[in-house]
Amino acid sequence: MALPVYVKRQREAPILSLANGARVAEMVVGGLLLISLFELVLHYNVADPNLWARYGISYVRGFWGTLGYIAFVLPVSVALGFAAGWARVSRHRLLAWPSAAYIDFFRGVPLIVAILFAFLYGVDFVPQRIQFFLEDALGVSASTLPYIMAALALAAHSGAYQAEIFRAGFQSIPRGQVEAGEALGLRHFQSMRYVILPQTFRLSLPPLGNELAVLIKDTSVLGAFGASELVGLASEFTQQIPISGGELVWQFAIWSAIALTYFVMTYLVTRVLRLLERRFRTPGLEVVSL
Amino acid sequence: MKPKRGYARERFVRSVETTLAILIIIGAVAFIYDILAGSRGLDIGYISANWLRYVRAVEINLSITTISFILGTGIGFLVGWVRTVRSPPIPKILRDFREAEKAGAARGKPALAATVIAAGLRHYVKRVADAYVEAIRGTPLFVQIIFVYTVITTFYPRLPGVSGEFLAGVVALTVNTGGYQGEIYRAGLQTVHTGQVEAARAMGLSRWGAMRLVVLPQALRLVIPPLTNEFIGLLKASALLYYISVLEITFLTKQETYVGHHFESFALITGIFLLITVTLSKVIQYFEVKYRIPGLGIQPTPG
Amino acid sequence: MIRTENIHKYFGALHVLRGISLEVKRGDVLVIIGPSGSGKSTFLRCINLLVRPDEGKVFIDGVQVNRPEISPEWVREQVGMVFQSFNLFTHLTALENVTLAPIRVKKLPKAEAETKAQELLARVGLAEKAEAYPAQLSGGQQQRVAIARALAMDPKAMLFDEPTSALDPEYIREVLDVMTNLARDGMTMIVVTHEMGFASSVASRIVFMDTGLILEEGRPSDIFEHPKNERTRAFVSKILR
Repeated sequence: MALPVYVKRQREAPILSLANGARVAEMVVGGLLLISLFELVLHYNVADPNLWARYGISYVRGFWGTLGYIAFVLPVSVALGFAAGWARVSRHRLLAWPSAAYIDFFRGVPLIVAILFAFLYGVDFVPQRIQFFLEDALGVSASTLPYIMAALALAAHSGAYQAEIFRAGFQSIPRGQVEAGEALGLRHFQSMRYVILPQTFRLSLPPLGNELAVLIKDTSVLGAFGASELVGLASEFTQQIPISGGELVWQFAIWSAIALTYFVMTYLVTRVLRLLERRFRTPGLEVVSL
Repeated sequence: MKPKRGYARERFVRSVETTLAILIIIGAVAFIYDILAGSRGLDIGYISANWLRYVRAVEINLSITTISFILGTGIGFLVGWVRTVRSPPIPKILRDFREAEKAGAARGKPALAATVIAAGLRHYVKRVADAYVEAIRGTPLFVQIIFVYTVITTFYPRLPGVSGEFLAGVVALTVNTGGYQGEIYRAGLQTVHTGQVEAARAMGLSRWGAMRLVVLPQALRLVIPPLTNEFIGLLKASALLYYISVLEITFLTKQETYVGHHFESFALITGIFLLITVTLSKVIQYFEVKYRIPGLGIQPTPG
Repeated sequence: MIRTENIHKYFGALHVLRGISLEVKRGDVLVIIGPSGSGKSTFLRCINLLVRPDEGKVFIDGVQVNRPEISPEWVREQVGMVFQSFNLFTHLTALENVTLAPIRVKKLPKAEAETKAQELLARVGLAEKAEAYPAQLSGGQQQRVAIARALAMDPKAMLFDEPTSALDPEYIREVLDVMTNLARDGMTMIVVTHEMGFASSVASRIVFMDTGLILEEGRPSDIFEHPKNERTRAFVSKILR
């Protein structure tokens, strides 16, 4: 079957190829142009050495802080999301309804509201004994705990979205294969382990990758509460510029740099995930609908 | 013969499960209530006296969201269109021209130059649109809001008629949703664009006619679900605007919690948001089902 | 070898199976024909307990198996099943599909399972497709892999649920050939199908089922040429052109 001549055939380019290199170069050039445009219009300079002499430390701290939050929130959200997604498709209402309540709640309420309440009141939900344990055994002070609760709220929020992704993955697997597994004598947990889960994992990888990118961006909301990550520390810095001396236009430079940082992070994550997808690709396996 | 004992037992187990499930959910809410308001008890008086303030506040969210969404649709559609228009690559243009020359139907160098320039322009306009969408999707909305707010308060500190933060909110949300809608419209237009435009042209329709009668009716049906999700998402995102001092519902809630109405404000704001989002979703679902065309759905877009 | 006594099954208020009693001796090939919705598939699934009968007994080799004490997994090791929609595990190669159950259920060592799987794939004519994924195989090839997969468990009997109904016409022959060879090698088979050519040449007995009841039973020649029941006649005349 011949395709119309001008339809670009989507062939996968090998990773280190000219086409990909050209695309990245184009992007870098485009990015530089964009930033130059902003700099011109708003009269600032992202690379101002005076700025970085003062802000540099905060930036680096913020960067590691963001990474730290991601490292904490990501596994928790995946665990929550997987469990909730699984429970959501269960025959047992005991599992399906509470998980549906969790999912619908965190998807219906804005992230900032969830984090706000976790930050203000999360600590009240942690029993005294556990608080003491955290402080003595893990060195988690009482002032850090609200931030941990806020991070947990972020995890719960992301988990709810991931639950929907896992749910779609579970439901994409034709029921017939489960039946075939049973007919072969596989026990329920065996068909889970060898038939359903491997396929769910492969099916869920692409949308999960997107969700990870979203999560990286969502950690910025923690900055609203002064968390030690990119946005929080930048806010702190910009707020004391008038006091400690420095140019007001530094603000633009700082926020541009931060935006750029997030962009690079999400870009890398999406690319890496695209690679992983390819490695795990099974011919013929696609999500039916999302 | 009526169904046997087996079924009665199954139904019994099911109702036990249902009760337990409901109990778990109620239990969670009760637990939260206990922690936040246990000692004081639920201040119904507060709720009945103040719920209107919350509703007024969420109206601000709704108005900012609606304005931004509509403006964003204009941007988004344009962006989506630009990104779907296909321009043949330069080698092909040259090849076509050389073949036309051989066949004796050459149109002269100026025509070639014009075509190449037009193609080049199209290509770069497309790239700009791509850059816009990628920049918006790759950066957090929160950072975008702060950036826009900083720009406005620095350069236009005193605006007639509208407050700086309101304007910043609208601008930031508009630019943001413009980017995401650009992606939605691109996916919608692209899903329809293949072959069918060709077929329409082959039937004798003009380019605009094909657009109007073939592509747009389908594309519009395709984009409605993601667009409604985008609206709901934008509404939730508007809650972030409290940070730049927009007097919307999150701002009010935060204020109220300082005075001590923890559970009540929590209940009010989550109740209001859940009410709005769930209702909107159901309404949309209804229309989706009503206007569905079997087999028409957006392909998942590459990351 | 397989016997059912008075099987009843309800789905909600729907009385799908209304007292099915059948006997299949070792080496027999029983073909069940009938209109859709007559309960044929449900009945087949009652034999390997994918569906639990509400009333009645299922006997395999004299042992009643639809009892809580009997493990359904054990039953399914004795009786293999081939489905209308193949139901191959799409994330595994053909070889892996065939070896999964022997390794995990029968606890065979991997090398032994793979040797056996290769033999079975050769037996169904797909030796060279061992490393292919289901999506890379045609419908007929997929179904043959499914047959090999079921045979890998050394079942005493095989159940076939409309194995060729989902196939393009050009692939039906190859699957029926495999089934014919299987029957000739002495496998006990219960086949639900619309393929009358296969039924008349391979079946030792044919059963006509409609609305959850067995309306007629007999040799292929009897059923096709001199059906006794009114509805059998109507059905057969529609199927045989």
